[in-house]
Amino acid sequence: MDELETLRELYGEPQADPFLKARTRGRVEAGIREHLEAGARGRRGAGPRRRTGTGPGRRLPWAPAVAGLAAAAVVAAMTVVAGTTAGERAGPGRISTVSGRSVLLAAATTAASEPAATGAYWRVRKLHRQPHPELLGRGENRYRLVESRITEQWVARDGRVWSGSRALGAHPAGKADEDAWRRDGSPAEWSSRGYVLSASPEKGRIKAAAKVPFSMAGRAMTFEQIQGLPADAAALRDWVSRAVREEAAAGALTGTREAGTGTGADGGGAGNGAASGPLDGPLDGPLDGPLDGIVADALSGLLWSKPSPPAVRAAAYRALAELPNVRYLGEATDERGRRGAAFSFTLRTAPVPVQRTLIIDPGDSQVLSSAVTGPPGSGGDRVELVLEAGWTDEEPAAPGLP
Amino acid sequence: MTAPPRAVRPEEEAGAGPLSLDDPESFGAVFDACFAEIHRYVAQRLGTDHAEDVVAETFLTAFRKRASYDPSRAGVRAWLYGIATNLVGRHRRLEVRTLRALGRYGPDADAPAHDERVAVRVSAQSLRPELAAAVAGLDRRDRDVLLLVALAGLSHEEIAAVLDIPYGTVGSRLSRARRKLRAALGGNPMLDPEEAGRG
Repeated sequence: MDELETLRELYGEPQADPFLKARTRGRVEAGIREHLEAGARGRRGAGPRRRTGTGPGRRLPWAPAVAGLAAAAVVAAMTVVAGTTAGERAGPGRISTVSGRSVLLAAATTAASEPAATGAYWRVRKLHRQPHPELLGRGENRYRLVESRITEQWVARDGRVWSGSRALGAHPAGKADEDAWRRDGSPAEWSSRGYVLSASPEKGRIKAAAKVPFSMAGRAMTFEQIQGLPADAAALRDWVSRAVREEAAAGALTGTREAGTGTGADGGGAGNGAASGPLDGPLDGPLDGPLDGIVADALSGLLWSKPSPPAVRAAAYRALAELPNVRYLGEATDERGRRGAAFSFTLRTAPVPVQRTLIIDPGDSQVLSSAVTGPPGSGGDRVELVLEAGWTDEEPAAPGLP
Repeated sequence: MTAPPRAVRPEEEAGAGPLSLDDPESFGAVFDACFAEIHRYVAQRLGTDHAEDVVAETFLTAFRKRASYDPSRAGVRAWLYGIATNLVGRHRRLEVRTLRALGRYGPDADAPAHDERVAVRVSAQSLRPELAAAVAGLDRRDRDVLLLVALAGLSHEEIAAVLDIPYGTVGSRLSRARRKLRAALGGNPMLDPEEAGRG
């Protein structure tokens, strides 16, 4: 092996979250539009704007089932966001802290009593939803679209892994958006200067993935390593805290790596642009992001994004119950109308606060949904709904429609 | 790089007709064809957290400067790598920090090893910090050439075109960089049997 090969090993294969391409494309097309409009303003008597065959004038069949889901989803999201602010205040917050702890401890008891691996594969199927960064439509009829995607991750007991993905299309975000969309002529395909967003779902895809598919606070974890995590709450919390400190010291937690949007990634959403630890030299600024938020995120990831054994899930719930930065927001309904208990913690505070809100079902200890604050101006939270999680004897296949 | 924009060379096609930078519509096809590998390259050098901004800027810069693209000198893909390389160069501290993390803990934890590489990885593991430090210690111009060869797989000719440097300079920068890497890795018989034999 020569030094170039060693170099490629050093750099490895970075992964992109499922929305990265669409998100970047949105930014590029917005930039191109600005550039062209600035150019047009600069020229006298600029010609009319070009429209192409994929522009808003062309209509494609609408997918009503998915659209209804989208509309319902946003209403539910608003409810949870409202609860987030209320929960921060002193009065109700204090009282609910006590009951929040008991909710988590009850979930721990349920989790501990679940059977261990009961199928050939562990599988998690999630519905991801995030607002499209650009407003679309013409004239006064501007509206926000939400893009949806199904992702699935399958893990065999021998450690083989598959990742599935399926874009579900874009749909008006809320009631007002839907009204504006109708006034705009109900287009089912949108073009922003050459890029096309469609209301129609894509075909599902699935592929064999790499063997170390999970990460906790930026640290790679195999299936076997997750099986071997401490089953005692204090020991698990110490293990996770140490991992978080080490990753932060290594600079692995810089920026805004999106917890949960990558393949099994979580726990890395906190930190800040200059995260570093005492081991680093003067090149790096001091860590001012809250590490306790990353610890909470890494622990919660064991509940819903990883094939954690029942005892480890129970320990994670117990550890979360003792964390002072985990706030109980009260009862909430997720975007599919499932009732549960909402908890929230701050992933980072700068440059803008980013929070994760989880809704769990204490009855069966499953996490129902996660919402992470979107960047300013992005139109709302990035939401993941857990549609299925656990062991199955089904075979890995491309994701079907929800 | 002064010729008007034209269709790219056939080997740059992504299966759906020739790529062209002429207008926003066909630029979308360029984006679709090249996004994944440009993102991979930038994420390798600056980490996934910061790649998104730089990649978006790469494509925007390409669109703004499309009139200066010369298809007779390099394909669109190579040209994008050149733009990305120049933008990465503005983030030297971040690149050094990314290398330090790679040296300590290996590639982005979200991006695991390919199965067949696991054995290799184990043997190279102990030298990661040295290798990362050696890359971080290179002159930026040498590092750019090295990584355009090792990570992007560009030819010397393409690198000369997109970095706008003489063909011979590509070779001399590359050999200087490789020499320094070998020195950093020296002494490990798994990685460099010849030098170990001499030593």
